[in-house]
Amino acid sequence: VNPAAEGTVYPAVRFEVGEAAVASFRTVFGQADGVPPTFATVAEFLAFPQAIGDPALDLDFTRVLHASQEYLHHRPMREGEVLSATVRIESARVRAGNGFVTLVTEITDEEGLPVCTARASLVERGTA
Amino acid sequence: VSLRTLEEVAEGDELPERRRVVTREDVRAYAEASGDRNPLHQDDDVARAAGFDGIIAHGMFTMGHLAACVVAWAGAPEAVVRLSAQFRAPVSMGQEIVAGGTVRHVDTAAREVTLDVWVRADRDGGTEWPIKRGEALVHLD
Repeated sequence: VNPAAEGTVYPAVRFEVGEAAVASFRTVFGQADGVPPTFATVAEFLAFPQAIGDPALDLDFTRVLHASQEYLHHRPMREGEVLSATVRIESARVRAGNGFVTLVTEITDEEGLPVCTARASLVERGTA
Repeated sequence: VSLRTLEEVAEGDELPERRRVVTREDVRAYAEASGDRNPLHQDDDVARAAGFDGIIAHGMFTMGHLAACVVAWAGAPEAVVRLSAQFRAPVSMGQEIVAGGTVRHVDTAAREVTLDVWVRADRDGGTEWPIKRGEALVHLD
């Protein structure tokens, strides 16, 4: 992990709240209707490759563990709508030989209004 | 299923526990649904090289199970405003996970309920906490 990458904001990616994708998520968790609260993880996994693959961050994903996660919903997602997801490196630090990276993904609607803020904290074990 | 009303909720209330035994099929289905295809959750050799006995469930699979517990209690997914979790222990295939929670605070003015939530797993006679110190904020009409 390179702390100098802290603050980097990556280009927005398109994120569709697809009916089939939501339905398979519901099936996995045995939920009858609506969009499951953690469905926003799909948006994160669309946006993360830009940060994870950025040589400036220098993150070895094979040594990464998911330490914590938070979702803040500003309004419910609606099935079928198209949103955009922008990921930024909120923090990047090295402490006691491990790397700590927090990625924040802001999900917004077509008018730019906030829908969901997702915060993922990752630990890279044994950073050189 | 209808939305729980704030009047039905008191501090100290416990959420009904939600249990499931995690299988390879579950984890495969979650990888497909989420787009998280990290081999740690799909390939036993990769998982062993990382120091586990075999593949482990995604932390987000366990958090999704916790979310389902909160949704079942609240009555609708739209009620869940915020959900946070710390991942503290891996979940192996065949292991049973138990999600639960307690009402910590009821804000009648904001019509919001704060819950302490967690996911527990029993292993080798001891208790592990795949999710510890989780928190949920639920808005009820």
